[in-house]
Amino acid sequence: MENDAKVIPIQSAPYHLSRQAGEAENMLDHIVDDFPDNPQSMAYFYDLFRRVYCHGDEVKHEGMLVGTTCIQAPEELIYAFGATPMRLCNGSYHYDQKGADFMPAKSCSLVKATLGMLNSDNVIPRIGKPDLVVNPTTCDQKKKSSVMIEDMGYAVYDLEFPNVKESEASRVYWQRSVRQFTARLRELTGKKLTRKNLQAAMAKTSRAQAAFRKLHNFRRKSPSLILGKDAFLVTNAYFFDDIERWTDAVEKLNEELAQRDQSGFKAVQSKAPRVLFTGSPPIFPNLKLPLLIEEAGGVVVTDETCSANRMLYDMTAVDEWMVNDMVDSLADKYLKPCTCPIFTRNDDRRRRLLDLVKDFNADGVVYQAFAGCQVYEMEYRSVAEEFNKAGIPMLYIETDYSLDDKGQLSTRIEAFLESLKNRKKHRA
Amino acid sequence: MKASSSRLQALRDAVNHVHFNRFRFWFQLAAFVLFVYGGYLAIDLGSRLPFFTCGYNQEGRAGVCYLLPLQHQLSLPWARLFSYAGIAVLTGLLVFALWFIVLNKGWCGFVCPLGTVQDWLTSLRRRLGIRYSTYSQGQFAQLTKIKYLLLALMILIPLGIGGGLFSHSMSPPFCLICPARMILPMFTGDFSQFTIDFSSKAALVMTALGISITALFLVGSFVKKRFFCFFCPMSALHYLISKPALLKLKKDGSKCTRCGDCYNVCDMEIKEIADDIKNTNIMTDDCTMCLKCVASCPETGALKATFAGIPIFESTEAGFIKRMGKGIHHGK
Repeated sequence: MENDAKVIPIQSAPYHLSRQAGEAENMLDHIVDDFPDNPQSMAYFYDLFRRVYCHGDEVKHEGMLVGTTCIQAPEELIYAFGATPMRLCNGSYHYDQKGADFMPAKSCSLVKATLGMLNSDNVIPRIGKPDLVVNPTTCDQKKKSSVMIEDMGYAVYDLEFPNVKESEASRVYWQRSVRQFTARLRELTGKKLTRKNLQAAMAKTSRAQAAFRKLHNFRRKSPSLILGKDAFLVTNAYFFDDIERWTDAVEKLNEELAQRDQSGFKAVQSKAPRVLFTGSPPIFPNLKLPLLIEEAGGVVVTDETCSANRMLYDMTAVDEWMVNDMVDSLADKYLKPCTCPIFTRNDDRRRRLLDLVKDFNADGVVYQAFAGCQVYEMEYRSVAEEFNKAGIPMLYIETDYSLDDKGQLSTRIEAFLESLKNRKKHRA
Repeated sequence: MKASSSRLQALRDAVNHVHFNRFRFWFQLAAFVLFVYGGYLAIDLGSRLPFFTCGYNQEGRAGVCYLLPLQHQLSLPWARLFSYAGIAVLTGLLVFALWFIVLNKGWCGFVCPLGTVQDWLTSLRRRLGIRYSTYSQGQFAQLTKIKYLLLALMILIPLGIGGGLFSHSMSPPFCLICPARMILPMFTGDFSQFTIDFSSKAALVMTALGISITALFLVGSFVKKRFFCFFCPMSALHYLISKPALLKLKKDGSKCTRCGDCYNVCDMEIKEIADDIKNTNIMTDDCTMCLKCVASCPETGALKATFAGIPIFESTEAGFIKRMGKGIHHGK
């Protein structure tokens, strides 16, 4: 028929033109272009994020894919079964808005973004559909996400995690819980956990941790050799990058930092206030706060967050290299040193923070709490008191993934850094 | 000056990065050979030694465990014990204390032949791929008191013998039930201690008990690391006089992350080593000062062994990675 109108189907824009890619691109451009002396070996990481987040390239993996929603899921076990762990915690504002349907209005951006990501059709990073999502029962919002993720069509495993860590009872409970997890992985992969494959898996992680610790130690230097925004990017890449390639890249970065150290290179001015970053984890593309600090002339020298230091710092000791002892030792590593605020007491977190301030010669602390991340909000008081007693200035910032508060935050951060500089001057 | 201090630092690094378990194995083996076979070379270090170099190993011993002469002295008739013989008891105690002060409980972890035998049984089990067992915390809290009870009995029963309350055939009571009496002479081919003495009722009970405890020792130390040390009255006695000791186990709580790595490798299951961040002197009564905790601590300077205040072995990150990172250098 003649008057038949030609229907042109609405075509979705290619990913790299989407708002989501724009968000990542914008952040990455700031990270790369706003600073003059980026380490050359950071190119690997800049390129990685550009490919994965801005172009939407596929993230490859070996064997089955096991998504994790917290650092408490023992990655060594996943590797030992020939599967690949991938951390699902998401930092995108786009997904934060999409996930808002699942959670009450005042909820944590990270949890909402993770849900939003899992609920969308083409997930970025493009990791493919996880064969299993491991959800350690840590904070309430993550706990309650479990069923929602299951309803989206994923296989979910609740890894039972105690919320007291001092008692021997919880240690024993957690060790049992981890052993049950290995049983679930065996069922999933059809493989057996042997001394050999577990030892090889632990070696992979140990090597990555050793490289991380080296980087961590370089950040003690004053003036700094590397900026915090780069360090966060490095640890963020650990979420999804191939562990061996990641470790090689970090080792290369370490070599460059060693050279910088030798040649007396300064990544910042000598007077730049040194900041310890703590609280809710910065996850790309939400590196808003660390970036604001460094754009205002400060430098993030270390952190106490689960997207960086807490994820990679603590190492496993084994007495008898047999499957049982290795699994129990791994369990211990994931529970005992953990400074997550979901636990009843936070003595260890406070001690760790004080130790980091001292060791890294930090002038002040920035405490990020995602609005709705109750556990960090609740711990603010005790941490503030601790720092107050020690005479260490702290800036508490409640924020989320949106960029609306950027102007206001940058004013607050500039004022805070200014006060740190003045304190330094008075002391000198 | 600067060169010598950097050389000292290099030495310190070398010590701190040592393959600790291997070092300890060879040290223990050497000590074992010395104290179980040294007698053949006419080595005699006296009879006031603060560890189980058993006096019943008459040919091979290079010295005698203090508990044997102590019990003999205490079972002297009271009239003698509470007069001139008392001085001999006191000088004996003094010599024992002088020996002890040098290594503190390090005698247990590095020198004691019975401790070494237990470590060998442990490595046998490990080679067979059998897992060790542990106590629950409740059991630990109860069982840890037994060594004090044994110590008290070890003093009271000889006193009772001296006072005529108990039969002489019970003397020396602890040695009769100590597994070292049967096990150490065995290494020089002497199996004569594996007998039950039917000469009197008391001797029968004591020697039968001794055999059962030895059997328990062999089974126990196969499934449980340092099974016997937990009940050792020598260990209790050590702890009571450990204040002035030269070798010390120190902890800097501010550097501790309470990761539990030290607790995890501790043969004696001492939880305080990980959790206590207040006490700088971290040696507890169950500790054998094997220093495995220091070797397995990833935090530089959190744990260390000091001798007369000078650090001799310190936990370091690099040392930890070297010791615990099995296979990380082949990973590439």
